[in-house]
Amino acid sequence: MTRFLAVSNRKGGVGKSTISVMLAHAAAAWGRQRVLLMDLDTQCNASLMLLGGEGWERAARAGRTIADYFYDRFDKVAGDESTYVVNNVGDVAHSRMARGRVSLLPGSQRLEDIQGELYLKQAKKDLHADAVALLVRGRMKRLMRHFGMDCDLVILDCPPGLSFAAHAALDMADHIVVPFRPDFVSQFALDRVALLIERVENAEQLASIPFAERRYACLPNCLTGAGHERLLIDQIALDHPLLTTRLPVLESIARAFDWDESKKSMEQKYAGALPYLRKLHTEVFTGAQMRAQSA
Amino acid sequence: MRKTKALSGAAQDAYFRRLLKAQGKLSEAAREPLLRSFKREIAQLQLRREPLPDALLSPPHAARSRQPTTPTRRAQSDAGGGSGAFDPFAPNIVVLLRTLGRAAALAALAAIDNPEHLRLLAREQRLSVAPDLTSLAELRAAIVGAAERRIANRMAAAS
Repeated sequence: MTRFLAVSNRKGGVGKSTISVMLAHAAAAWGRQRVLLMDLDTQCNASLMLLGGEGWERAARAGRTIADYFYDRFDKVAGDESTYVVNNVGDVAHSRMARGRVSLLPGSQRLEDIQGELYLKQAKKDLHADAVALLVRGRMKRLMRHFGMDCDLVILDCPPGLSFAAHAALDMADHIVVPFRPDFVSQFALDRVALLIERVENAEQLASIPFAERRYACLPNCLTGAGHERLLIDQIALDHPLLTTRLPVLESIARAFDWDESKKSMEQKYAGALPYLRKLHTEVFTGAQMRAQSA
Repeated sequence: MRKTKALSGAAQDAYFRRLLKAQGKLSEAAREPLLRSFKREIAQLQLRREPLPDALLSPPHAARSRQPTTPTRRAQSDAGGGSGAFDPFAPNIVVLLRTLGRAAALAALAAIDNPEHLRLLAREQRLSVAPDLTSLAELRAAIVGAAERRIANRMAAAS
């Protein structure tokens, strides 16, 4: 059964795309999964990491992006949507005999405009604004789910903010990783995204849901070891489930995403970041929460 | 609703003793008056059944040893006079307030008897206190008040 994992936070610059790509590589290489990364972020960073600038531009020109897919297929899904997907992306070498691979539904800078257009198109049907929004979101959810057939794992790299696509991704995901930088503003961002994910209206309602039953887990990222980070993480742990993995600021992670066409092993690509990625992979994909969600 | 268990009498004393012992920077001589103060001022504890976060119960020196030297810490060491040993991130006042309550937070601050240390703690934990406060009691109350406002502020934003 295909699992849908969203990587999301309404706050920008917390490492959503980097973590999406790292998890995609890890699931393909170590979990032997057929992974599809769906780039819902109009910044297209995950696409640039996996295809490079020229590769992404070729895909965009050929109409192989998520915006094209939503626009073309909004009213009717065709049987085979593989033309929108770019296979075997990224610079990690996977053995030809191995099952694991990473495919990409590339992002598009036009996605926000397309969502607006789709909304307006539906609004002409004399529906209430909320009903139109629900309709667009529901349709996007079905379109995303359609790709589940050809892979074991779909990773949804969500945009910051709350577009229809982001809402749809949060609605449909089996499990959500919420990366954050431990600064004071991040607390508010985590509180708010948690309300959305758990579909509750305030902190009290959220507190009534045991951590073990929540769909999300927060991932402290870009740690420098400063004292205030410890302070914030302890405070956040009172209200939100936290992964035990802590990702420090590492040159090896930054370097891993400089585009390079030559294929390499996970060890070569991630170098000093490899132990952290191994721990994250184990925790996210073989941890109790993900198992429970996918059961 | 989170489940809690009530502690009083000997069980409560044992809990306080364990909590204070875990604060590695407190000597036995410093712990005893705190313990007496807890016994005198707190009649009953409502303890969450969930364990406290590690950082609260583990000795601060262990947490410190995992961290690189921050500019703040360097500045303290440079200032001399033994201030290098003071960790402005422990105890975590917001966590203490939320897990053990106001009296426990005030009691933990009572272990800090240097007003400059209290100001440093307030600054590093982003707990705003008025600059004209001079007495230790006022500073401690202001720190706890600021932590309460921070908690209320966050709750309001998530509603």
